[in-house]
Amino acid sequence: MTEAGNTFKDVVCTFCGCLCDDIIIETEGEKITKNTNGCAISKERFVGHMENRCLQPTVKGSAVTLEKAIERAVEIIASSKRFLIYGLSSTENDAQREAYRLAELAGGVVDNTTSVCHGPTILGAQESGETTASLAETRHRADIVIYWGANPAAAHPRHIPHYIRQPGEYIKDPKKDRQIWLIDVRETTTARMVDRFIKINPATDLEVIETLRALIRGTKLDVVEVGGISIKDLEQIATTMKTAKYGVLFFGLGLTQSFGRHRNIDAAIRLIQDLNAYTKWGLMPMRGHYNVSGANKTSTWVTGYPYAIDFARGYPRFSPGEYTAVDMLARGEPDVLLNIAADPVAHFPRAAVAYLAKIPVINIDPKFNMTSQLAEVNIPAAIAGIECDGAATRMDGLPLYLKKVIEPPEGVIPDRDILRMIIKSLEKVMK
Amino acid sequence: MSSGSVKVRLVSGRTLSQGRAMEKGKITQEYEDAVAICELGSKTMEALGIENGDIIVVKAALGKINVKAKLDKNLQEGMAFIPCGPYFNYLLDAYTQLTGMPGFKSLEATINAAPGAKIPTVKEITQMMKEGVK
Repeated sequence: MTEAGNTFKDVVCTFCGCLCDDIIIETEGEKITKNTNGCAISKERFVGHMENRCLQPTVKGSAVTLEKAIERAVEIIASSKRFLIYGLSSTENDAQREAYRLAELAGGVVDNTTSVCHGPTILGAQESGETTASLAETRHRADIVIYWGANPAAAHPRHIPHYIRQPGEYIKDPKKDRQIWLIDVRETTTARMVDRFIKINPATDLEVIETLRALIRGTKLDVVEVGGISIKDLEQIATTMKTAKYGVLFFGLGLTQSFGRHRNIDAAIRLIQDLNAYTKWGLMPMRGHYNVSGANKTSTWVTGYPYAIDFARGYPRFSPGEYTAVDMLARGEPDVLLNIAADPVAHFPRAAVAYLAKIPVINIDPKFNMTSQLAEVNIPAAIAGIECDGAATRMDGLPLYLKKVIEPPEGVIPDRDILRMIIKSLEKVMK
Repeated sequence: MSSGSVKVRLVSGRTLSQGRAMEKGKITQEYEDAVAICELGSKTMEALGIENGDIIVVKAALGKINVKAKLDKNLQEGMAFIPCGPYFNYLLDAYTQLTGMPGFKSLEATINAAPGAKIPTVKEITQMMKEGVK
């Protein structure tokens, strides 16, 4: 695994769904000393990988051995009636696979962070299908790229500089030959990086998308403006989209989390489908966690469903709103939570956190997070793509191999191995 | 100078500082500094009689939270932005319209200046969520 001179080339960054695979990592002994090519967040992730680490398993705040922590976790799971596993988006594919095995074994529910990011994207795709593209295809062919409700400058810092403002086979000059637009309710940092910023009124995405669909079909609309955009501008946007040679629409949580949820995505997919009657367009969600896309894929391979899966009847059932983590916690339904590679206390609404504080929580994470503070059992894990290998899926669905560049802290093992220990021990208890 | 209250549509989302601090670790001053803020436009700050860095109290149907005001000169009137994290979520209800997704992008809130008020630490806000303090 170690390369000459402790310099690792073509390392995949495991922060966001871009999975930039041109990172150069330099190590010295047990430390990562340099990250070349990575964004500001990537540098913090690699160089700061030992900061705020949880190095010792604990039960009720007391340090214990890994075996003791596993033993207590298994006791809790074995005595549960409604077991919930949540997270999985900041870990690699094999760990995700073990989580589904554990959910099936315990007759529990398994949900990933998709339910609070691009869950509506999946629901929209289930209604209307997918019209997708790859990042490489976008770089080589797209003469127009539109971001909608996304702020890549903050959440995917290299999306524009690494994939979009780059020359491709048919786009020789990315500044001249490719237009980049942003449609958003706020004038974010991304607005200053693009060629055109179009501000829309909050909660009007669905109306604006449906208006564009009507205009693209040639319908004349008897209105002055929609969503804060003049009809003249909307007509011009529709014409540009229709006459582009190859367009890609990247959308973020501004569409999935706002008023309309999956209906916004349903409409966006249909807009792209409409455009394909005239030219070539694709769309792609800006996936946040580096392997949330992988969580959907592994979950679908193994269970048939992408998230929110209940094994209580011994076979998988899918029901967003029912088996999604926020809804389950807000209803006070689960009696145990196993959180892995996510932080629900930091990212869930207050009522869900308040309930979570009343039940035993098993928390598996490399660092101290907010969920660690409420967890009965904390088990530290190795960081995938830094301290152990694995595979992850980029936002366009491309699977990439994650390298190990440094040894994990002593006694700290990968998520997949922790889950395998829990499964092995639970199988014995359940016999 | 005015010290009135301002009604806003509160939106949450990612910031670069929040991403970096999250990678450093959530139980850190950096994380608290990155997420215990509320971005406001200059006219909103003027209406509240506050300056960049002053403490404000953000009230929603579910409760109120003290955070630091941060100027975003590009933010329009009637809108405020809190980076995704526990300070925004403290005000957020858990209704998902049966989709699994809470309303992270559309919370009605009122903002007032709160000179001298204390911003809870990350540990304190966890405790507040646990105890259901309003």
